[in-house]
Amino acid sequence: MRRRGGRSASGLKERKKRDRMESWEEEGSGGGERERKTDVEAMREAWRREKAAPELLEFEGELVRRLREQIQLQEDGDEDDDQDLLSSLRHMDLDRALFLLKSYLRLRLSKIQAHLFFYASTSAQLLSPQEHLFCQRSLHATSRHLHRSLLSLLPPHYQSLSRQSTSSDHDDMLHPPHLDTFVFCKPNTHVGPLQLDDLGDDIVDLVVDDLYVLRYKSVTALVRTGRIDLI
Amino acid sequence: MYARRAAQLLQELSSCEEGQLPPFNGDKFDQVIRECEEHSRQFQSLIRDKDIETKNEDHYGSFIHHLSIIRNKRCLMAYMYKRAEVIQSYRWYVGRVLPREIQDKLNFSEQEYFKNYCSVIDSYMKDLDLDLTVDMVPPKDPCVRVRVLSEIGEVSLGDHAVSLTKDSFHFLRRTDAEPFISQGLMEEFVE
Repeated sequence: MRRRGGRSASGLKERKKRDRMESWEEEGSGGGERERKTDVEAMREAWRREKAAPELLEFEGELVRRLREQIQLQEDGDEDDDQDLLSSLRHMDLDRALFLLKSYLRLRLSKIQAHLFFYASTSAQLLSPQEHLFCQRSLHATSRHLHRSLLSLLPPHYQSLSRQSTSSDHDDMLHPPHLDTFVFCKPNTHVGPLQLDDLGDDIVDLVVDDLYVLRYKSVTALVRTGRIDLI
Repeated sequence: MYARRAAQLLQELSSCEEGQLPPFNGDKFDQVIRECEEHSRQFQSLIRDKDIETKNEDHYGSFIHHLSIIRNKRCLMAYMYKRAEVIQSYRWYVGRVLPREIQDKLNFSEQEYFKNYCSVIDSYMKDLDLDLTVDMVPPKDPCVRVRVLSEIGEVSLGDHAVSLTKDSFHFLRRTDAEPFISQGLMEEFVE
């Protein structure tokens, strides 16, 4: 890429710029048989999956970290406005990648917020360390508010946040996320017959690249292993 | 009694537009709380000195009171929780400081909750070093047309300085304009 003008002629800057361009299109770490894709594409897929799934999926820590590094590199090296068109295109690309990242994080926050108790006690892999902190602090703030404005005013034995009364034998006021919602999905590898429910009555044959509308519960395991894509 | 008033409270809430809140109905709320206390008193008087095993009319009467309290609790919890959800959305769509007309609709605990929620979100964003409250919609243009709402003065953006006087129009890069827009000092001018 030619540089106009008499900016620093040091070879170091040239090399840095080349590295930057390469790292922006760096191959993501794909699985064995899947075709390799860029980090931005991988982020877009992770974002789409997170948007479609009714429950929180595993946090893509590595992907987020790599994407942030690349965005930072792009932002840092953007002093030279060589040709306005190219530079504004690059800006737009940067903006869109940043939007993907932020939207992904916001989606996850809203899911955590909807089921604070549930996610506060799940394994560490599902949430990033910052999300874990967020969950606990938010839980603390919410329960304090509810306790102060409502629960402490109710008759004794009815003041619990998680149980209707002291005669309940389980946390009947708390609900885990609903996994029964329907999702659009498309298998990307051969899956074959899938049992839709525990009774074994409904069996669906999943063919590669065909579009299906199924309950999320039936395909949870397949989504987690990446054999089926959510649209 | 028997959760009728609590249901009215919820009806008031549901008749409001999505994302908006009616003023906190402290009177009705207190009435429902007093109803719960009354139910509790009746409950205590019905089971006092009675053998817990006898299934007579007092036993079932006390059960009705217990269920009424549970129902009231459920309605009140739904009321408070729904309001809390809307308050959370204020941080994302309105900002850190609430305008007077919204503040007046919240009771004291809700105002405190808003402040606490803001600080929880802010510490999460600080940990990540990302401002998640900007870029809420997919960006269409790297540059935006903006109108300055309040006097900002001379600002150095990139390699040139811009004088941001009130009611002036500018064509700025999105990243430069975002912080001002989110603080309410500028607005995006859409044709």
